Amino acid sequence: MSISFPHVGSFTYVMESICHEMGRTDVVVPNKPTNKTKQLGSRHSPEWMCTPFKMLFGSFIEVLERGAYELVGTLFIDYCRLGYYTPIYEIILEDLGYDFEFLHLNFNNPTGFIQEMKRRTAGLTYWKTFRAFQIGWIKNRFIDIADKCLYSYQAVELEKGTSQRVVNRAHRKIVETKGMRNIRKLRKIIPKMFEDEVEIDKKADPLRVVVVGELYAVVEPSINLDIMTKLNELGVISYTPITFCRWIDVGSRANPFKRPSFKTAIKKAKPYVEYRLGGKTQESIGYSIMYKEKGWDGVIHLYPFTCMPEIITRSIIPQISREYEIPILSLVLDEHTGEAGLKTRLEAFIDLIERKRKVNGDNIK
Amino acid sequence: MNRVGLPRALIHYKFSEMWVTFFQELGAEVIISPKTTKKIKQEAVNIAPNEDCYSTKLYYGHVMAIKDQVDYLFIPRYGASDKKYVGCPKFIGLAEVLRSMFPDLPPIIMPHYNTAKGRDGKLSFYFKAMKIASMFTKNPFKKIRAFRLALKKHNQHKKDLVIDEKTLYKWEQSKLFLNDSPKSNPGERQLKIALVGHSYVLNDPYASLDIRTILKEQGVDIITSEQMPRELIEKQMDKQNFQLYFYYEREILGTIMHFLESKTVDGIIHIMVFSCGPDSIAGEMAARFSKRNPAVPLLQLVFDELTAETGLKTRIEAFIDMLRRGIDEQIIFQTTKVHV
Ligand code: SF4
Ligand code: SF4
Repeated sequence: MSISFPHVGSFTYVMESICHEMGRTDVVVPNKPTNKTKQLGSRHSPEWMCTPFKMLFGSFIEVLERGAYELVGTLFIDYCRLGYYTPIYEIILEDLGYDFEFLHLNFNNPTGFIQEMKRRTAGLTYWKTFRAFQIGWIKNRFIDIADKCLYSYQAVELEKGTSQRVVNRAHRKIVETKGMRNIRKLRKIIPKMFEDEVEIDKKADPLRVVVVGELYAVVEPSINLDIMTKLNELGVISYTPITFCRWIDVGSRANPFKRPSFKTAIKKAKPYVEYRLGGKTQESIGYSIMYKEKGWDGVIHLYPFTCMPEIITRSIIPQISREYEIPILSLVLDEHTGEAGLKTRLEAFIDLIERKRKVNGDNIK
Repeated sequence: MNRVGLPRALIHYKFSEMWVTFFQELGAEVIISPKTTKKIKQEAVNIAPNEDCYSTKLYYGHVMAIKDQVDYLFIPRYGASDKKYVGCPKFIGLAEVLRSMFPDLPPIIMPHYNTAKGRDGKLSFYFKAMKIASMFTKNPFKKIRAFRLALKKHNQHKKDLVIDEKTLYKWEQSKLFLNDSPKSNPGERQLKIALVGHSYVLNDPYASLDIRTILKEQGVDIITSEQMPRELIEKQMDKQNFQLYFYYEREILGTIMHFLESKTVDGIIHIMVFSCGPDSIAGEMAARFSKRNPAVPLLQLVFDELTAETGLKTRIEAFIDMLRRGIDEQIIFQTTKVHV
């Protein structure tokens, strides 16, 4: 009875770690989604369902084909469709005749969440189960750090591909490190790996672009056609503050001495969108403003086709762009988004902010 | 300076009685946008965000239709009025999106109300209403009176609209009509159809391409999902092992499941809105449940701004023909989802 989960960017490594910590040895690790995955998912999905649903579904079908039985699923009440993913997957998979069982992890109910998790462990106690989850959220921080390093170093690396090689090793290291003491050391080790091994162009003065938008669209390279790397290839540092930490990093949320950045972002977004309405609307708007204030050069906003909250973001973004004089590019993504079109639009956008920086620079002189 | 504009779209169809009474009692002049017309639609499609659902797009058209005649626009940010279940995120975002996209609109009164996740209760509802009331009058008695009358009107409207189980039973027995009585065509059996969809589609003759009249002309007696007794809907939804947390979508799926089970109608017509998030879910579930239990034929129609009346008419006529022809052939046609 193997356990599995869908592929969600580098968060996949966190889920893999949690499953290992749960004492499970029968983990089916999902592959990176390919075009085939996208097709597989959309074939059986409701017609205008949002793209993340379709791609995750493809990923689920693939792991089922590889022998998975228990699938990590979520079930909770939200503003948008996210809380329904699991029930619909269940209905469709039943109709397709698969043999499976979903974990119903309910974020609205922490006790139930841990109970459900415990049931799936290899006989761990509640404390150990909680510990497994905790290791997950802590490792998630280091995965975020590794990605941040990757998309900074990669923009200015001298030899193409070095950063990618380093990050692959970093990811594996994070997954395989055991014991809280060792894990905590990763905070220093990961950046050090990049520092030591990637040779960078010290003279470069790269542009910096922050990527915001719907969570899946931002973190899964196969839906956004690896936009972070594409930016790097244009010599631009890319970064996304939108990661899974808001979801699973219970530790930093509970820490009274640290204010998570998403709270600051939400505060900044209040004059535009005062109340939460699902998705990452407030965060996307808030982070755009925050990073402008930090001196970043541009913002890219990604959202899946028919995504309800992000259409709202997309409609408000022009105002943000005007008022804060920050170039923002909104891109809608679906399973048919083409490589070539995306590239042209990115290049045009980078050209624009490059020119803008030059003009501003001349003015200062 | 006290003309208040209400766009006739989206949740206006659920709450208009309350809002109109409230503002009128406060001494404001209430201006409701006219019923949807071709002009309103065209304007809407031109200015609204491209990817928005058709219903939300229409809202933009209605705002534009009255913006020059009013001093305020009333666009609540409505999250939920149920303890657990929410509305559509678009209801919450609409006011702010409009303000952002069209800075020269008149001031928008946009109270936020959300009992499910916003911890609003009766008291905060009252205070929010009073705050708005203060914009129009200083007289506290007038304010309270407006508030109470508005609530009363709303409850009355709900009572008039939603039937109880007894009435439903009578309707199922063909003892009464719940809507305009259908044309009786000699020699043809009168059909019973459940018309299921969002209230702002079913009650907007333009947006629904007057499907009610088409059905009436065809001699079909209808019941709408809005009219269904809430207990029956909740009973159906409780049978599921998931919580459909979009309040209005429960109404839709619950109605469909009730009739799939009770088999007291000849057919079900489900109107969906293209690119509507909640509909993509309820629609899929309805289709799959009806395939599993193909007792009553289900026709799912997908509407968007390109929908043409002629296409719709043909589809409906074909569906009704099929229902009249009898059971055997129906099996092939269980769920038909078409873009009309
Ligand atoms: S945020 Fe958008 S893409 Fe994500 S589940 Fe909600 S509607 Fe779908
Ligand atoms: S429920 Fe559907 S049709 Fe209604 S506003 Fe939301 S997305 Fe649009």
